[in-house]
Amino acid sequence: MSAVVEVSGLTKRFGSVTALDDVTLRLEENVIHGLLGRNGAGKTTMMHLLTGQDFVTSGSIRVFGENPVENARVLQQVCFIKESQKYPDDFLVRHVLRSAPWFFPNWDAGFAADLVEEFRVPLKRRMKKLSRGQLSAVGVIVGLASRAPLTFFDEPYLGLDAVARQTFYDRLLADYAEHPRTVVLSTHLIDEVSNLLEHVVLIDEGRVLIDAAADDVRGSATTVIGAATVVDAFVAGRDALHRESMGGFASVTVGALTPAEKAEATAAGLELAPVSLQQLIIRKTGASREVEQSA
Amino acid sequence: MTTVTAPTVTPALGNRILAVVRLHLTNRWTVIYLPWLIMLAILALNVAIWAIVLSAAAPENREEVRQNLGYSGAASYMFVYMIVIAVQAISVTFRFAQGYSVTRRDYYLGTSVAFVGFSVMFAVGLSILAAIEEATDGWGLGGKLFTSTVFGEGDGLARAFVFLVLALFFFFVGAAVAAIWVRWRAFGLTAFFVGLAFLLVGFGALIALTDSWVAVGEWFVATGFLGVYAWSLVPTAIAALTGYLVLRRATPQG
Amino acid sequence: MDDSRPIFLQIAEQIENDIVSGSLAEETQVPSTNEFAAFHRINPATAGKGVNLLVDDGILYKKRGIGMFVASGARARLMSRRRDEFTTQYVRPLLDEAAKLGITADQLAAMITKEGAA
Repeated sequence: MSAVVEVSGLTKRFGSVTALDDVTLRLEENVIHGLLGRNGAGKTTMMHLLTGQDFVTSGSIRVFGENPVENARVLQQVCFIKESQKYPDDFLVRHVLRSAPWFFPNWDAGFAADLVEEFRVPLKRRMKKLSRGQLSAVGVIVGLASRAPLTFFDEPYLGLDAVARQTFYDRLLADYAEHPRTVVLSTHLIDEVSNLLEHVVLIDEGRVLIDAAADDVRGSATTVIGAATVVDAFVAGRDALHRESMGGFASVTVGALTPAEKAEATAAGLELAPVSLQQLIIRKTGASREVEQSA
Repeated sequence: MTTVTAPTVTPALGNRILAVVRLHLTNRWTVIYLPWLIMLAILALNVAIWAIVLSAAAPENREEVRQNLGYSGAASYMFVYMIVIAVQAISVTFRFAQGYSVTRRDYYLGTSVAFVGFSVMFAVGLSILAAIEEATDGWGLGGKLFTSTVFGEGDGLARAFVFLVLALFFFFVGAAVAAIWVRWRAFGLTAFFVGLAFLLVGFGALIALTDSWVAVGEWFVATGFLGVYAWSLVPTAIAALTGYLVLRRATPQG
Repeated sequence: MDDSRPIFLQIAEQIENDIVSGSLAEETQVPSTNEFAAFHRINPATAGKGVNLLVDDGILYKKRGIGMFVASGARARLMSRRRDEFTTQYVRPLLDEAAKLGITADQLAAMITKEGAA
């Protein structure tokens, strides 16, 4: 149980906007963490603060036991793949790959070369001329091949097609299994990556809503469906995360149910549906009233 | 509940600085090719103008005209352009370097080393061009671009020193301007220049009010060309320090 | 992988199913945690948790330096456990569903006998 990142009372304000509000967090070593939340929730701000690229308003950050700001010893072990990394104008893709080892001590050129082939990235093209997907692919390649002990990926899949995304997940898992390191993945595509995550942090409007093992979060909610009166009787007294009704039917999302409670529900003629990580997070961060399609 | 600490093997400071220098060198068009192209274009332009002026003058006036061609200030464009190079180099690579886990201090040190290197390169290049200019007696037209009296009346070595010192000055002023731009963007830049203008005017007013122009003039004469240029290293150092202090709290998001 | 239960439980269950069905014989080696993780596209730690669950239950054991093996007697133990759970897992729901459709226990027994003979 060792922490590679320890954040305490972290607050970040941009003028009158509070991006992060009194956040306290621990990230364990050699675990794949998911940093989830809506746009503007504070995920990117958090990662900028953790990598010393921005300064806290108040609170403390310890990465590898030290303050990461202007700390070469710590930052050399960190790789932050941003969603919007800017490259020097004249840079070609191969310049990015050639210069990466100057900054990342653990760089694996062979691995990078393999990834370039898999993602089909054109080595001789200028970074400015790459499509969004190719740009993301380059980011992914650098992030993976850097083998940095602490690697951050901020929405690394933007523009990547489904095949490329799967390649990324597969390669990430395989390389993580062989070269364990701490990975922090911020994403909107929660269901796609939910099986990769061991620890989940949900940030909403600058505050941490969920900070738990992925396994604990999974299965921590159930949707009870059936005749409205029966459903209401069953869920009475429980916290309802979400409720929908259609005619005489209702669908209510509540917390986890014990096997006995599940049996009770089924006996009452109610249907129980699982709640995916993505649905759970959507409910908790209050998406607008959408009509949910199939479960 | 323990805390993991980073492996103690950190690449040496020298390596980290070298990484930043190499980063600047990958921008070859911006920092090397384009500036030289501009310089050569300026040279070509000046040669053309001299040729036109000379041929326009009546033959009996030609010698007199030749003598007066000594003050082409066109080379100053080259030096002012170094501010542009510096600003481009920093505004383009700072974000990238931040994204690649480089500390601001390592970045500024590496950039400073790179700028000193560029200054040396330009000083050497300009000295070579000056030597050619002397050897061809002003490109065959008596023109003085690189051997203009702006750069002093000393020999080649003295002139090379002047080139170096001027390049350093403009590069590091550029660094300070770039730092202000990166940290405070357009607003900061405007505020800086307005403030600078006030400062210079105020300084000038101070000298005028205390009737010190004569004293200033005497100082220039007493110190001599080389001396004055050597003194410019002081504002260069101030600019370099300012650049660092400003960049220290800059963030890569505009 | 479904969303209603922790993945490591599902992994453990799959291995148990394979043991019960006979595809994983006793004293044979089980795929490594990393192999499970890669195959199911899940986090290796999660796969490891599932495997460790079975080790704790005595269904699997570790041979140092080689890997995980199915313990002898594992199949028998699993079968016995599942028989115990059979009533709550299958019989009860069957009776409940039948009741909803108005099928009596006797009718149910007859259906079972008929299906069993076919």
